[in-house]
Amino acid sequence: MIGTSWDVQWHIDVGPDTFFTLPHLFIYAGSAIAGIAALSVVLAVTAAQRRGETPDPRDGGVPIRVFGGAFTAPLGYLVTGVGAAAFLLYGLTDLWWHTVYGFDAVLNSPPHVALFTTISITMIGAVIVAASARELLWGRIAMAISVPVLMTFFPITANAFQGLPVPFDSIVVATALIIVLLLVLTRVAIGRPGTALATAAALLVMQGILWVFTPWATSLYADSVGLPMRDGMGGEPSLIPSGIPLAGIVAALVIELLFRRGALISGGVAGLILGFTFVLQRPWLGYAAPVTTVELIATTIAGCAFGVVGAFLGLRFGATLRLREKVTA
Amino acid sequence: MIKRLFALLAAIVFVPIATAAPAMAYEPVNIVHTEHVQVGPYGLTVGFSTWPLRAMQSLDFTFAPDGGLDGKTGTFMRTGPSGSHTRPASMVRHPRKRDVWGLDVFALPVEGPWKFDFTIDGPQGHGTGTLSGLQVLPQPGPPLTLSWIVCALPFVALIGFLVVVWRRGNPGRIRASGVPTGVAAG
Repeated sequence: MIGTSWDVQWHIDVGPDTFFTLPHLFIYAGSAIAGIAALSVVLAVTAAQRRGETPDPRDGGVPIRVFGGAFTAPLGYLVTGVGAAAFLLYGLTDLWWHTVYGFDAVLNSPPHVALFTTISITMIGAVIVAASARELLWGRIAMAISVPVLMTFFPITANAFQGLPVPFDSIVVATALIIVLLLVLTRVAIGRPGTALATAAALLVMQGILWVFTPWATSLYADSVGLPMRDGMGGEPSLIPSGIPLAGIVAALVIELLFRRGALISGGVAGLILGFTFVLQRPWLGYAAPVTTVELIATTIAGCAFGVVGAFLGLRFGATLRLREKVTA
Repeated sequence: MIKRLFALLAAIVFVPIATAAPAMAYEPVNIVHTEHVQVGPYGLTVGFSTWPLRAMQSLDFTFAPDGGLDGKTGTFMRTGPSGSHTRPASMVRHPRKRDVWGLDVFALPVEGPWKFDFTIDGPQGHGTGTLSGLQVLPQPGPPLTLSWIVCALPFVALIGFLVVVWRRGNPGRIRASGVPTGVAAG
C-alpha cells in the first residue's frame, strides 16, 4: 500500500516539472514523503527483527543488514530512502546553483541532472518494492504504475549526453533502451504473459492524463499568481508527455508475441519500432528539428541494437528481482 | 499508528504548500544598464537587469522601441563568440513587463563578444540594426568540470549498484535458488 501511495505521488511529480514553484514544491514533497516512508519502514522492520521476527521479503524485497547489522532494511525501501536523501542533498546544491547562476530554466544543468538521477533511484526502489509483492494484487498494480513512471523519468537523464558526437538521436535511443529494458524486466519479474502489455497501457493512460493535466495546471497556476501566459506560445503539447513514445504499446505487443521465441529478438524488434517512430514523433510534435534520412536510418538501427541490449539487461534484472535470499552487506 | 503517522507527515508536507501559494509574487524587472540601438528609423533601448554580463548567469533582457510597441513587430537573432547564431525569433512581450519586448531569466552560455541583430516592422517601414561587441565575462562559480563531477556521483553510484545487482543475478545463482524464470531466454 505504501508503494502504491508513493507511485501516485510520483505521478504528480512527473507532470508538473516543466514549470515553476508550486510544481517544484510538489517534486520536493514527493521525495520527502518517499524518503520518510522508507525510513519509517526500515525502522519498523529493524524493530521487528530485534523482536526476533523474520522479515518477509514480500515487504519491500530482500532484507539487507546495513551498518554492520544495526539496521535491517528491505532492499526496495533502502534504495528509495538513499535516493530521497541524495535528492534533498542535491536540492541544496541546486539552490546554491541558482543563487550563483540565476533561474534560467534548463533541464541539463549539473544539479538538475543529479536531481533527475536521484529521483530515478527513488523510483527504482519503488519498482523493487512493487516487484517483491508480485503475488499480491497491490504489488502488481504498483508495478503497473511505478514502471511507467520510471520509463517517463529515467530518459530525462539522457539530456546530459545530448552533446555527444553520434550520428543518431541519443535521447530517442536512450528512451528506446529504457522502455524495452523495463518492459522485459516487468514480464520476467512478474512472470505472467500480458504484463508488458498492461504496463505499456498504463504508460499510455499516464501520458494521456499528463497531456491534459499539464497545460490545464500551468494556466490555472499562472492565473492564480497573476502571470500572463507567454506571447507566441500555444499549440504545442506539453514537454513531458510529448517525450513519451506513443508507440510504446506496439513495442509491448511485439515483446508479448515474440517473447517465447527469444527475448533478445523481441527486444530488438521493439527497439527498432521505438527508434523509428519516436525519432519522427519529436519533430512532429514540435520538439526537435526535422530529421534527415541519415539520422532516421541511424536512429532506427541504433534503436534496434539498444533494444537488444535492453532486453538482455531486462532479462537478468527481472530474474534478479525474483530472488529472495537474505544478504549481509 | 501507521495511519496517524502518515496523516502527520502529510500535514507537515502539505500545509506549507497550501499556505505558501499567495506569497509567491514575482519580482519586478529591475533594469540596471541600457544600450541604445538604431534599428532603421526606430530607436530601440536594450535593457539588462544585471551588468556586466557573465556566461551562464541568467538575467532579464528588455527591448523597448521608442514610442511603444503599438503597430510594431520585430525579430531578434543572437550570434555567439564562435560566430554560430540562432534563427531570428519573433519579439515577444516580457512576461513580467508587458509594455516592452524581452527575455525573462535568460543566460548567454559562453564568454566572449556577442552580437544581437534586430529587425523592426512598423508604421515607418522596415528597419534593421545591430548591437555588437556585447562583452560577456567568464562564468561565475567553480569550474564546470568540477560541478559535473560532483553531480555525476549519483549516476556513478547507480551504475555501481546495478553492477552489484547484475553480478548477484548470474544464471547459476538464480537456478540454484530455485527461482522459475518462466521464459526461455534469448
